[in-house]
Amino acid sequence: MQRLRSVLSKVLRISPKGITDETSPKTVETWDSFQAITLVSELEMTFNVHFSMDDVLSVQNVGDIRACLKKHGVILEE
Amino acid sequence: MDKKFEGSLGNSIKIAILGNFTLSEIRDVLDAKCTQCGFKLDYYEGSYNQYQRDLLTTRSGLYSFNPDFTILFLDIQSLFGDVYFSPYRMNEKTRRVFIRKKVRELTQLVTVFKNNCHGKLLIHNFSVPTYSPLGILENVQPFGFFEMVEYLNRKLSKFFQSDTQVFIYDYNSFLNHHGKMQTVDPKMYYIADLRLKRQLIPLLCDDYLRYINAIKGRVRKCIILDLDNTLWGGVLGEDGIEGIQLGTTAPGNAYLEFQKYLLSLHERGIILAINSHNNAEDVQKVFEKHPYMILKEHHFASLQINWENKVIKLDNISKELNLGLDSFIFIDDDPVQRAWVQKSRPEVFVPEWPSDPAHYVRALQGIKELETIQITEEDRKRGVLYAQERERRLAKSAVLDTLEFLKSLNLKIEIQPINNFNLPRISQLTLRTNQFNMTTRRYSEDELHRLIANQDTEIYAALIKDRFGDYGMTGALFLKEDKEALVVNNFILSCRVLGKDIETALLAFIIQYAEKNRMKKILIKLIPTKKNIPAQHFLAQAQFKKIMQENETEIWCLDVKKGPFYPKHIEVIVCKD
Repeated sequence: MQRLRSVLSKVLRISPKGITDETSPKTVETWDSFQAITLVSELEMTFNVHFSMDDVLSVQNVGDIRACLKKHGVILEE
Repeated sequence: MDKKFEGSLGNSIKIAILGNFTLSEIRDVLDAKCTQCGFKLDYYEGSYNQYQRDLLTTRSGLYSFNPDFTILFLDIQSLFGDVYFSPYRMNEKTRRVFIRKKVRELTQLVTVFKNNCHGKLLIHNFSVPTYSPLGILENVQPFGFFEMVEYLNRKLSKFFQSDTQVFIYDYNSFLNHHGKMQTVDPKMYYIADLRLKRQLIPLLCDDYLRYINAIKGRVRKCIILDLDNTLWGGVLGEDGIEGIQLGTTAPGNAYLEFQKYLLSLHERGIILAINSHNNAEDVQKVFEKHPYMILKEHHFASLQINWENKVIKLDNISKELNLGLDSFIFIDDDPVQRAWVQKSRPEVFVPEWPSDPAHYVRALQGIKELETIQITEEDRKRGVLYAQERERRLAKSAVLDTLEFLKSLNLKIEIQPINNFNLPRISQLTLRTNQFNMTTRRYSEDELHRLIANQDTEIYAALIKDRFGDYGMTGALFLKEDKEALVVNNFILSCRVLGKDIETALLAFIIQYAEKNRMKKILIKLIPTKKNIPAQHFLAQAQFKKIMQENETEIWCLDVKKGPFYPKHIEVIVCKD
């Protein structure tokens, strides 16, 4: 979770502390369509995974990102 | 970082980018790259797929932004529309008509651009497809799908070949270089209309910087090279001429090829110099006897081969060649020497250098600072000219008396009024000359064209020769009549002809011009900088008096009394047209 938090906070320029599963484009102003693209490539690089188009389209919030990473075999420690 | 380039064209650059797909990822990367190179970026991004409106509307956002550099990045798929998917719905003739129409559309856009903007335009050429519905039969089609795009690229290159404002960026080669399959992330293409992978954007921006550096006149003229483990493998002093690695088998062939690439740069005008810890006699033997030493003594403009420290030798090269430190690229395999030179002479460009000689050629090819937006005849000859100059210096040390030496040179100056042939070079002189340049005012080719159109400034170019060779077009004068006085708006002389009384001869020409037109005074404008000390000295020496100062501009005056004195050892020819 630490690594995921740090990617999110870097790309979206928000404090890592406030990030929860419910954090989403609706709650974070900087999470616009442009930063969403950046987020995809940053996550792919950091965790060395390749998302599918469905993965990317299905993500609504941080919880979804976590589920998605898990599906690709990334284990996030609390 | 900015300090390095003080007195060049200024450090801010206005860049616009237009395209037919999502380009928003480029901005931040380009901004970072510009900052790295010491430029302050001012950026305009056309709205999504609005490039035609931006280019065709006189009062568009693009034109009111008035960019120095515009990038037109169009994707072939959007340009072709449905034809991209079904090229063979049309027959050969219709395909040809289709492409001709696309060429016309693009060139027309550019024509409108040129009427509305004086900045440079960089057009991406198009990615030649790798898939055809005809599969392996694609290349037997007359004017097939792939050929359509190749033809479009060829036409564009041809059309703008001699254009000094419009350049074609070989984007197709860029994609080939990185592997077309690897350059697009299909999911991001479908989700966000991204046509280039994020990881490649920094590399694309590196290529843009090649143009930007050149446009802003940040061109390095001279490569300073180490010898041991740089031009050959091993240490000459220890391994001897037979023991150094240089030849047709590995690892010697890596050094051999590196030398071949250096020679090709020399042939296009880059000056070469040596800065090495070695015994000069040993190196001399390598030059004369080693069968694979491609670079010979006569290719080098300066040979600093001794046991002094490398910074002192670098300063010696700078003095010897009369070039500022910001003209140099320093190549050395030793990271300690590199770090030391970079720290003590920050103006010098010291590229990171690979430890494996197998990567030397690539490292050389990756140097952006050698780019130039145009190569004039003078540029091509420069490397040779500087090497000849070293031979002249040798001759000079044989003749003690300077005047005797100057007489022995048989100097000739040809003064020509500005014309379409010498105009690009005159612009270049204003851009690149810093030491003997009275105002350091830079003129683009467009500005010169406008000056000529206004008809109130007389511009002259000076061609200089001597018995050792041709220095090329190395002087420029901007003269303007103002009632009783002749105003010299600028007086430029390339540093490589200084110290030969050429400046005195050109002054005599100015005086003669004033006399002929019955003017009593000559007023020279001077804007002093740290670099143009030679120009300042000259004015004082030639008896000019400072009579006025407005902000940074000084006016220096000379009364026209006695006839002009051309130095006796120089032959001056004034051409009428």
